[in-house]
Amino acid sequence: MFLAIKELKHGKLRFLMIGVITVLIAWLVFILSGLGNGLSTLSAATFKNMDANYVTFEDGSRSSMSRSLLSESLVEKLENQTNVSAASAMGATMGTVLNNSKSDDKEKVDIAILGITPGSFLEPNVIDGKPLQAKNSLEVIANDTLKKKGFKIGDILKIEGSLEKMKIVGFVKNETYNHLPAVFTTLDKWRSIQFAAPGSDKGIEKPVNGIMLKGENVDSAKIKQLFKNTETVTKAAAIQGMPGYKEENGTITMMLAFLLAISAFVLGVFFYVLTLQKSNQFGILKAIGASNRFLGRAIVSQVFLLSFISIVVGILLTYGTALILPDEMPFSLDLKLVVLYALLLLVISILSSLVSVRKITKIDPLQAIGRME
Amino acid sequence: MSGIQFKNVSKLYQQGENQVLALDEISLTVEQGEFIAVIGPSGSGKSTFLAIAGALLHPSKGEVILNGKNLNELKPKDLAQLRLEEIGFILQTSNLVPYLNVLEQLLVVKRMAGKLAKADKEYANELLQSLGLAAKLGKLPEQLSGGERQRTAIARAFMNNPSIILADEPTASLDSKRAHEVVQLIANEAKSRNKAAIMVTHDERMLEYCDKVYRMEDGRLKHDDSFSHEKLKAISSKG
Repeated sequence: MFLAIKELKHGKLRFLMIGVITVLIAWLVFILSGLGNGLSTLSAATFKNMDANYVTFEDGSRSSMSRSLLSESLVEKLENQTNVSAASAMGATMGTVLNNSKSDDKEKVDIAILGITPGSFLEPNVIDGKPLQAKNSLEVIANDTLKKKGFKIGDILKIEGSLEKMKIVGFVKNETYNHLPAVFTTLDKWRSIQFAAPGSDKGIEKPVNGIMLKGENVDSAKIKQLFKNTETVTKAAAIQGMPGYKEENGTITMMLAFLLAISAFVLGVFFYVLTLQKSNQFGILKAIGASNRFLGRAIVSQVFLLSFISIVVGILLTYGTALILPDEMPFSLDLKLVVLYALLLLVISILSSLVSVRKITKIDPLQAIGRME
Repeated sequence: MSGIQFKNVSKLYQQGENQVLALDEISLTVEQGEFIAVIGPSGSGKSTFLAIAGALLHPSKGEVILNGKNLNELKPKDLAQLRLEEIGFILQTSNLVPYLNVLEQLLVVKRMAGKLAKADKEYANELLQSLGLAAKLGKLPEQLSGGERQRTAIARAFMNNPSIILADEPTASLDSKRAHEVVQLIANEAKSRNKAAIMVTHDERMLEYCDKVYRMEDGRLKHDDSFSHEKLKAISSKG
């Protein structure tokens, strides 16, 4: 540590350059992770928030709500299965609404209309207003992003291409579904919107898209056996089935992976070149008795210090960036992810310095003695 | 048995198809408190000799006993430890760590060995003071003159209180006044601290400070009487 700090102070410019590169890499890693997190939140926040462990879909729907149609009557049967503590049905449809309370409103807003059973574990808590009522199917609760679009409690939403109307009675937070703000309504209301056209319900009694199950270690194979027309998957698999979810996350993850690999090589090469440059100096230190351990520790602690400071600066810059990004950007920093990537970067930079440590062990202290005959 | 002993040490280098005999059956004993010089033309095997004495190179044949330890029997890790504890190297100039100041050059030796104690700092200060560097403690090597750098290197060599001092052309880059000062310092420090000291040099002006002079030629080491201490003393007193 002693040599490391002394040298950092002595070679400010050299280490500043490496530091800046690390900062930029860290910054980009954190921004990408924020973007990835933001996108996946936008895509599936409602699913993620739900206190459910498994989802039952129609067989063949490949874990997608939009491809699945089941009867609500299954809820009761599923609730009786081993390890299932609760089950509740859900329906989802996309829609476009106008604010009917404003006479001159021409601004259409896309929303996700989610039908749930009022009072069930699927209903999110309102942050403003009141929750859903089973009896009053006009009332809905909406994600608070609609507030920013000018919607208030008491506003009437007119659904395009439908005669149905909805009245906002409460707001919920952080509820987005398929990249759209979620509006929760009763299952009956949802059905009257989704299956307005005759025959669109395929003759299923009280159709729903999926049934959420609560409970650990649910035996999905057994459920499949009992109810031939269903498939039960974990919530995580259902989230993967959200439209675009896998693709978005895959892209971001690939970029992150490349970035981390690049950072490993960039830092590794930098420190290797620095080490080569100092190989005579290390030779002398070895000649006067420095062990490989001593010199190796100096290198590793130097890389650690430099990376640590750079990563911290990167984190600060990222949070600074988050402040100036427009609200519409799907950017959300998850502290857990930030810490995870910070540690990952730190580990990668230390691993990359091991190449230099290896080089040190190979340096012959003999080169300290002038010219060898 | 303290000091350093060479017993029939040979070193053979493979150079392409040829074998070069750099050291040929060298035997030598340097006692504690003794300061010897090895002189000879370049290519005579002086550096090989020093490298073997400094546990940086293994002899092809024969053995080196340093402070009772046979160097052939030590593992690389133990050799590093031995260099740290028993050997003080004075290398050619500019072999200081560029980003450490004079005091730190000495303290880093202690850090290599483990913890830095308060007494070590005092000892380093005292050493530097005795070498006339008291005013230069905070200076970096680039801010020092050649002589000051070499004196720092001398102080560094003595820092771990080694039993043997090895000096490799310590006067190579110094003018003759500085060169005399530096060798005199090595001689004084070796004597007063009771070290066995070996200096490899081609600078014959410096031999008056040595107890014995050996001449290296084609890998063979011969005691050179013409430079005997008594004789030199006599000459210098006459002059």
